[in-house]
Amino acid sequence: MATETDVLVLGGGSTGCGIARDLAMRGLEVTLVERYNLTDGTTGRMHGLLHSGGRYAVSDRESATECIEENEILRNIAGHCVEMTGGLFVKRPEDSDSYFREKLEGCRECGIPARALSGREAREREPYLAEDVSRAIEVPDGAVDPFRLCVANALDAEAHGARIETHAEVVDLLREGADVYGVRVRHDSGPGRRNHGTSGSTEEITAEYVVNATGAWAGQIAAMADLEVEVRPSKGVMTIMNVRQVDTVINRCRPKGDADIIVPHETTAILGTTDEEVTDPDDYPEAEWEVDTMIDTLSELVPILSEARTLRSFWGVRPLYEPPERGTADPTDITRDFFLLDHDERDGVSGLVSIVGGKFTTYRAMAEEISDFVCGKLGVRAACPTAEEPLPGSENLERLEDGMDDFGLRSPIARRSKQRLGSRSRAVLETDEPNPVICPCEGVTRAEVRDAIAQSGSDLNAVRIRTRASMGNCQGGFCCGPMANELHPDYDEVTVRRALDELFEERWKGQRHALWGEQLSQAMLNYALHATTMNRDRDPASADPSDPEADAASLEYAAFDAGEGR
Amino acid sequence: MRAEPSNPLEFARTRPIEGGEIMSDAERSTDERESSERSRDAGEFEPIQVFPEAEEMDLRPGADDCYKCSTCDTNCPVAEVDDEFPGPKFQGPEQWRLKRKDDHDVDESVMKCSNCMRCDSTCPSEVPLSQMHNTARGEYVEQNMSKFSREYLRNRILANYRRLAPLAAAFPRTANVVMGLSITRWLGEKTLGITSEREFPEFATETFREWWAKRNGSNVSNPDKRVAYFHGCYANYNTPEVAKALVRVYERFGYEIVVPEQHCSGTPMFANGMLEDARRSAETNVRELASAIDDGADVVASCSSCSMSIRQEYPELFDVDGTGDVAANTWDAVEYLRVHEDLESALEGTSVGPEFDEFAYHAPCHARNQGLDGQTLEVLDVVEGVDVTDVGDSCSGISGTYGWKEENYETSMKIGEEMFEHMSEAGAAAGLTECPTCSMQMEHGTGYEITHTLEVLEAALVGPNAATEST
Ligand SMILES: Cc1cc2nc3c(=O)[nH]c(=O)nc-3n(C[C@H](O)[C@H](O)[C@H](O)COP(=O)(O)OP(=O)(O)OC[C@H]3O[C@@H](n4cnc5c(N)ncnc54)[C@H](O)[C@@H]3O)c2cc1C
Ligand code: SF4
Ligand code: SF4
Repeated sequence: MATETDVLVLGGGSTGCGIARDLAMRGLEVTLVERYNLTDGTTGRMHGLLHSGGRYAVSDRESATECIEENEILRNIAGHCVEMTGGLFVKRPEDSDSYFREKLEGCRECGIPARALSGREAREREPYLAEDVSRAIEVPDGAVDPFRLCVANALDAEAHGARIETHAEVVDLLREGADVYGVRVRHDSGPGRRNHGTSGSTEEITAEYVVNATGAWAGQIAAMADLEVEVRPSKGVMTIMNVRQVDTVINRCRPKGDADIIVPHETTAILGTTDEEVTDPDDYPEAEWEVDTMIDTLSELVPILSEARTLRSFWGVRPLYEPPERGTADPTDITRDFFLLDHDERDGVSGLVSIVGGKFTTYRAMAEEISDFVCGKLGVRAACPTAEEPLPGSENLERLEDGMDDFGLRSPIARRSKQRLGSRSRAVLETDEPNPVICPCEGVTRAEVRDAIAQSGSDLNAVRIRTRASMGNCQGGFCCGPMANELHPDYDEVTVRRALDELFEERWKGQRHALWGEQLSQAMLNYALHATTMNRDRDPASADPSDPEADAASLEYAAFDAGEGR
Repeated sequence: MRAEPSNPLEFARTRPIEGGEIMSDAERSTDERESSERSRDAGEFEPIQVFPEAEEMDLRPGADDCYKCSTCDTNCPVAEVDDEFPGPKFQGPEQWRLKRKDDHDVDESVMKCSNCMRCDSTCPSEVPLSQMHNTARGEYVEQNMSKFSREYLRNRILANYRRLAPLAAAFPRTANVVMGLSITRWLGEKTLGITSEREFPEFATETFREWWAKRNGSNVSNPDKRVAYFHGCYANYNTPEVAKALVRVYERFGYEIVVPEQHCSGTPMFANGMLEDARRSAETNVRELASAIDDGADVVASCSSCSMSIRQEYPELFDVDGTGDVAANTWDAVEYLRVHEDLESALEGTSVGPEFDEFAYHAPCHARNQGLDGQTLEVLDVVEGVDVTDVGDSCSGISGTYGWKEENYETSMKIGEEMFEHMSEAGAAAGLTECPTCSMQMEHGTGYEITHTLEVLEAALVGPNAATEST
């Protein structure tokens, strides 16, 4: 099977999805391939901070300026994925006064609105801040949902004719002489929306031009065409708290350091992060002490964190890159700027460009620059509309705020749903059918889950990132089943069970690093619940579907009595 | 005639009570609080923000303890009979977790919670459910309920029964007749949404405090054994016989009783989301009770909701100076005697006359929450002549002012059904409980006469003659 397209984008992270949308809007035919789900790479494992630029205001003013520009653009084009929480750089007594002043000046010089607050003012705003926080700088940091933002880009690309193919892993770059002309992908379950079951079919996709936007994996992809891209993946840990202890982004005001930011994210707060170089972006150690140290360090800013419940911890790898000649030793010193590697100019191989580095906050600007470059290569002249055209869900948000319709939902659930869906709220939530809550922790209703299934097919992890269902405090213990139930009868039983297993496994992964206190109780309860109501500790139905007899036979039915007498 | 008061306690004990005076006291205490805050602010280098008003409290961290087992939901009497009520799990931890600081859209269903606080005591994980409900309700009323609405007005009237009662008490006979008139009740329902199904409680011709003043206070003087009696509204205005029973029983054990100035405990105000009213009451009560404690007294209450309120709700909701101390030194009246006296031995061999016989006993939810649900049965077991049958752990369904609302009446009666059934199965012809509104519901549902446990103790320990002292 072979398909043709103008531009092939590899990688379904923020960079890839941003480029796909940009090029599709400029009228090009685009195909994007991603090996798992959208956002499965670094984009789905980041901190969720929409930078104001304050963080870079001392060390890297160019990045800082770019951040504040993009920050303002995203508020307009992606309002439903952004929460303008505001941010504080807080200073403890031991942190340097002169750095505080430099930060304030830096912000002002980069055009970042900044205001100095006394410790008391800062605590008035965030009552759980430590008593000895002595000063703070207020900046327009925000929280951004990388999942919905990425999905919105992909949806809009599709709306402009793009093909977005997930669960399609690039297994080879097609190269003839000095020209890369496409890729070979292996479909996890056949092309199209996921239908579970490994099909293993491959497809060759040829293109005028290939954009390698696989981030930390860019080196692996380049190697498929015998090209070298020196990515230096650097891991960072993040811990999700059960509730929002703060409603403002809290940064520690000191030059650099680990564990210095708390981001309020939807119903939770995310602590982060660290910076440590690793060799393989798919295989690196995840150690408990990284979590412990981070909670301890951030408790210096917000003491109740030390007692608070954590839901899970996860690691992400930064796709850091620097030209080989620089040789920076400490990964924290490697620039956060992005690099566009034109393999034609660099290696004499045409048809391929690799993108590495960068930040989520500036994904749109990056995509614009790369798209300009690709258009230049293809001789296409079209202006970039992405800074003005709102993403699906963010059209006329002001008008949405006026409409007080709660679609028959309880107030907090209506509010959360509308915040997630933005201008799509009415289209999704208005229904004549009963619309019960499927995920009570996050307030996600059946209508929203069905809407996500309509987008992403049988993949419940894809439903999760679109809706937040199963991302609350029970971590799927109560809602995975009901979510899977929504797949039936459109999908058969085997598919539904696979989808359920996959989702539940994914939820379990992150909880392994939170198994103490309340989350341990939760895990125990989830286990008991699933074992006793769904027989999931030993379910004959989840045995090999080709041989259901085998496992069922191993259940000793004879050991049960007839159910009579005592 | 009263002697000139020589110390503040004495003064409180003998001071005549009038509604007007109490109200002006409330206002004074608010001013005092503000001026003391001002001076505290001025004296400090960096004034720390004053404790937030209850309805602004951030209880999201409380959601950390919930692991969603739903035990609370299965124990909630309202959820059991009302499918529209989402239950305590949603009301409390889920709703709070979904909130952001500036969100004020509390779901209106919080007004259906009767504040029976059963969820609190059944939660295996110490989630502060009723604190969450009370705070959310306060916020709902503050933000979403129109101050001019019939519902607001009605709730405020029910919540502030304490303020109306003095009026009725001044003309008890007229009040009883007027309240009993069917036209009044019908008007109550039509204009205020107070159900016409219920009969208003009768007002006593002499309040407890009037009796107490006439009696010249305590018959015993004993600096080592002193209790401050929190009688609450109901025992004062409607069932002074309960309050008098307490006095006689405690005097029998040699206690000196003081009766401090006091406001409504706040129970009906919490349930109606009137947190500002409740705070004002709490300020007076804490101030008066704290000063009694300073004078060596422990606080005892005859109403289980009053003791619940002082012990649990005050510290959860208000930051009035001395709240913790007052909460720690407040007791249920029977519990106190069990702990500090050998009540069981004292009752050994006692008997009561034929006026008491068999009782169907209902443990009020608020007694249950204090761990007191087995107490009455155990205590009365040794008294000759009474036979007490527990009617089980169902909720009576009235929950204070809840069952008085037209829209809740049916739910309230449905909840109560199980109790009514068990009462009639118990084979007794009279009821026993420690909660005034439970007793209204018991009477309303079965027609039985309802007695307070203290009245039985009085008969056993002091004898029937005591009642002739002065009634
Ligand atoms: C710990 C941490 C915290 C961060 N916090 C922030 C923050 O708060 N704010 C901010 O602005 N930025 C932050 N960043 C940076 C930001 O997350 C990244 O710069 C950005 O997400 C990179 O996106 P990307 O699309 O380039 O890469 P990715 O999201 O990694 O996308 C690459 C995709 O390629 C796919 N892929 C790999 N191999 C193949 C293959 N063979 N075939 C097909 N597909 C393949 C992967 O599955 C992946 O989905 C953070 C980064 C880290 C690591
Ligand atoms: S009983 Fe407690 S832990 Fe269980 S659901 Fe209710 S609040 Fe949560
Ligand atoms: S206080 Fe009573 S009525 Fe209210 S939620 Fe709890 S159990 Fe239900």
